[in-house]
Amino acid sequence: MSQCKVLVVDDERDFLESLVRRLQRRGLDARGAGSGMEALKLMAEDPSEVVVLDVKMPDMDGIATLKAIKDRDPKVEVILLTGHASVGSGVEGVELGAFDYLIKPVKLDDLIERIRDARERGQLMRRAFS
Amino acid sequence: MIKHYARLARRMTLVSLVVALLPLNVLGVGTYYYFLRGSQEKLKEEMMVRAVNRAEAIELFLAERTAVLEALAHSGQLALLSDQHELTKVFQILNRRTWSFLDLGVIDTSGNQRSYVGPYPLQHQNYRDAEWFQQVMLRRVHISDVFLGVRKVPHFVIAVKHEDEGEPWILRATIDSEVFNRLVRSAQVGPSGDAYIVNSRGQLQTPSRFAGGILMPAELDIGAVPPGNTVVERVSPGGRTLFTAFTWLSSMPWLLVVDQDPREMPGPLKLARWVDLSIPLAANLLVLASVLLLVRLFIKQLQANDRERAALDAQVAHSARLVSLGRMAAGVAHEINNPLAAIGELTGELQDILQPEVLAQLPEGDICRDNLTKIMGQLERARGVTHRMLKFARSAEPTLEMLDLNQVVRESFSFVEKEARFHNLAVELKLDPGLPLIPADRAQLQQVLLNLLNNALDAAGQNGKLLIATDRDGAFAQVRVTDSGPGVPPEVGERVFDPFFTTKAPGQGTGLGLSISHSIMEKMGGTLTFESPPGQGATFIASLPTAGSETG
Repeated sequence: MSQCKVLVVDDERDFLESLVRRLQRRGLDARGAGSGMEALKLMAEDPSEVVVLDVKMPDMDGIATLKAIKDRDPKVEVILLTGHASVGSGVEGVELGAFDYLIKPVKLDDLIERIRDARERGQLMRRAFS
Repeated sequence: MIKHYARLARRMTLVSLVVALLPLNVLGVGTYYYFLRGSQEKLKEEMMVRAVNRAEAIELFLAERTAVLEALAHSGQLALLSDQHELTKVFQILNRRTWSFLDLGVIDTSGNQRSYVGPYPLQHQNYRDAEWFQQVMLRRVHISDVFLGVRKVPHFVIAVKHEDEGEPWILRATIDSEVFNRLVRSAQVGPSGDAYIVNSRGQLQTPSRFAGGILMPAELDIGAVPPGNTVVERVSPGGRTLFTAFTWLSSMPWLLVVDQDPREMPGPLKLARWVDLSIPLAANLLVLASVLLLVRLFIKQLQANDRERAALDAQVAHSARLVSLGRMAAGVAHEINNPLAAIGELTGELQDILQPEVLAQLPEGDICRDNLTKIMGQLERARGVTHRMLKFARSAEPTLEMLDLNQVVRESFSFVEKEARFHNLAVELKLDPGLPLIPADRAQLQQVLLNLLNNALDAAGQNGKLLIATDRDGAFAQVRVTDSGPGVPPEVGERVFDPFFTTKAPGQGTGLGLSISHSIMEKMGGTLTFESPPGQGATFIASLPTAGSETG
């Protein structure tokens, strides 16, 4: 099984970089993007299978980024990270096609498990529709 | 506040009284004045009629007597009537009907009384010098003024002269004063009425009740009395205000005077005056009483409304404060959550890197490991704080959700637990595990419970007892908060729920807590009541309907 290609999108630099490094250390092919726009750019150059998306971001928020990603390629799986107060937007994201939402702070092991589940579903979908 | 109401009440009372009583009293005084004038005019009119009437009767009396004497003189003869016996017979015939002639005499032209019938020894009296004799010799018929005469008794005489054939002679009769006085007196009315006759020289011709005895000078200016009939208002020498009717007799210069006190009114007029005075008086009292009553009721209602509104305002302000505080808390929590997440990730990464085998090579590896664990612990703690803040923010917005009452009670109690321990209170929680979920607003319910708990804490004081119990009462789930304090005095009663009512020291309580709690409970379809058996502290009971009863 090849490395899982993951894109983490969060406007909090320290958080982003640290999380990406930890995911890489656990054997995932992880990248980071500091904003929705950057994420779309990276996805256009080299698509990832799973996108971990923070809901609360300035300029382009998680929901808008989710819509844009799903517009370009519905087979990309998206996991939303929400704060306590924005569970509502997590639910909205799932209705819009997100794989799942997780409430911050997330334990790394839980996150990796969800990422693997999402990738599995994405692969199934891809096989089914190709 | 109180002063303001008192001023308003005074103003309302004043304005209402002026508006209501001024026209009433103007009307009352006006009608009374016109009534008085009208009744006095009426009295004057009535006196005039009476006086004229009496004067006519007096004139008729005199004319009748004169006519009788004239007829007698005309038909009789001097020789015949000079006989004492004959004259006595005539005298008896004259007085058969009315005993108005006191005596009767026949006098010749030289003044000698030829014959006489009467009670006095006046036989052979000579009247040559008497005024009436001279008058009758001149005028043929004469009615004298009252004079003392030979007997020195006041009386008056009617004399007629007969001169058809032969020597003229005179028939003279004395009029019984009693009969005549009675006739005049019949014109007087009431306890202060008076009626008398005054001659042209101002002498009383009949006795008066107040103006003096017979032949006394009447206390009035006879020359000033106009001819004919008049009614005047005058002040008597005795100082009394009188209405006086003057009527001159037409046949002789006598004046009939009728006095009456204008305050003496006939019965129906008296009744009318009494009614005219008492109805406005009663109306005044009635208006005064109703104005006072209405103003009192109005002010009371106004005060109640103001209090209610103030409580409502306070509650709205309180809710608004809570909501804005919640929003602020949410903002702060979010802002802190992001760095916390970053710290968490960074620390997690460090833990990933510093595996046990790596740590073993470090000089103080166990300290690094411990510190990382402690940082994670402190992070968890900080997250707990933001977590609670966010939860509070959410709960500040009123929303109904299905709540576990016991959980809300435990949460609320956790806020005051420290203080209870500080006061060394023995706290007992008796929560019924079988309670159903209840639909309620978490924050508001918490507010009520916190209020009850704080009150109970204050009441219990040091080393007291506190019992917090939940149970089910029919379709209601209830929380009972019992303290070991002094209880609610019976005279306070339901007023504990009044806005601004407080037993705490000034500045210690707003007096709004229970009032707001009461209205919150009612808004959620529940109740807030209390029990305070004497000497056993107070139990406040917050009761909410369970979901099952909501369907009704």
